[in-house]
Amino acid sequence: MSGILLSLTAEPLFGIVLCVAAYAAASFLNRKLKTPLANPLLIAGAMIILLLQVTGIPPENFQKGGSVITMLLGPATVALAVSIHRQVEVLKKNFLPVVLGCLAGAVTAMVSAYMLSKLFGLDDSLLMSLLPKSVTTPIAMEISRQGGGVVAITVAAVVVTGILGAVCAPLLCKLFGIKEPVAQGVAIGACSHALGTSRAITIGEIQGAMSGIAIGVSGILTVFLAFFF
Amino acid sequence: MKFLQQMSVIFAIYLISVLVSNLLPVAFPGSVIGMILLFLLLLSGILKPRQVDEAGDFLVKNMAFLFVPTVVGIVEYIPVLMDNLLPFLVIIVVTTVLTFAAAAWTVTAVIRLQQKRGEGQK
Repeated sequence: MSGILLSLTAEPLFGIVLCVAAYAAASFLNRKLKTPLANPLLIAGAMIILLLQVTGIPPENFQKGGSVITMLLGPATVALAVSIHRQVEVLKKNFLPVVLGCLAGAVTAMVSAYMLSKLFGLDDSLLMSLLPKSVTTPIAMEISRQGGGVVAITVAAVVVTGILGAVCAPLLCKLFGIKEPVAQGVAIGACSHALGTSRAITIGEIQGAMSGIAIGVSGILTVFLAFFF
Repeated sequence: MKFLQQMSVIFAIYLISVLVSNLLPVAFPGSVIGMILLFLLLLSGILKPRQVDEAGDFLVKNMAFLFVPTVVGIVEYIPVLMDNLLPFLVIIVVTTVLTFAAAAWTVTAVIRLQQKRGEGQK
């Protein structure tokens, strides 16, 4: 690729425009294909990865703009409070189910990750890296670090878990016959944190709000549960 | 201008929360602290929904898009995962499905239990 074009990709706006274009194209495909597996986030990500590989544009150049978009994830998580506040009556009525659901989710996530890691004969550092993968990245990183895990593996596991939750959420609701919006939201947030929540929002506002609450509650519970491992 | 003001309120709450997060002895994300803080501000009436809802809804509705660079970034981690790719993927898929089921069934069961109890009291 010629020097001028390559230097253009080093502009932060390049990554931003590329993300918007890829997401718009992916949303179009999603509407045409009508299958939950054609998830816009997944397709957009795959398209950009492919484009960077084929053209040889350095991923660092893309992430100059990408990091600006990623930066907005913090405020977006804060903004979930607006949805939660709008659903405050639902929350008041279902406070106990929400908290117990998160507890069940957090215990299951850690115990199943522990047992499967043992089953595969993974070493302790890998086990500790995978243990906190269902909660939001900063909490998962810290639990992993304190337990002697490899933080990079934890981050990868958190993101892959989140993508899986975001892509499969409606499928899982159908598979397990979950129709109650509160249960759907809590389950999505408990198993796949903010990434899953971004999908829960598209299912409905109650689902999005409950999923948002589950990010926080599951995160706190997981910090405490980590002492037992 | 209204939209920018609303956005700035949310950004400011996030910044304060990051500061709080840095002062905490344990790792707890600023974004989640900010979510709790904004919720409390709305609940207490210090902030009115109309002071944040337009920008708030904009951010929340576009949250999936905001994850695009994160998904692209996963490529960097492929080398660290290569040695244990199969167990890594199997563990993630199985635990995610189990966690979903455990949380969803617990919520459903507790809601039903509460409803039964509510009817019993009547």
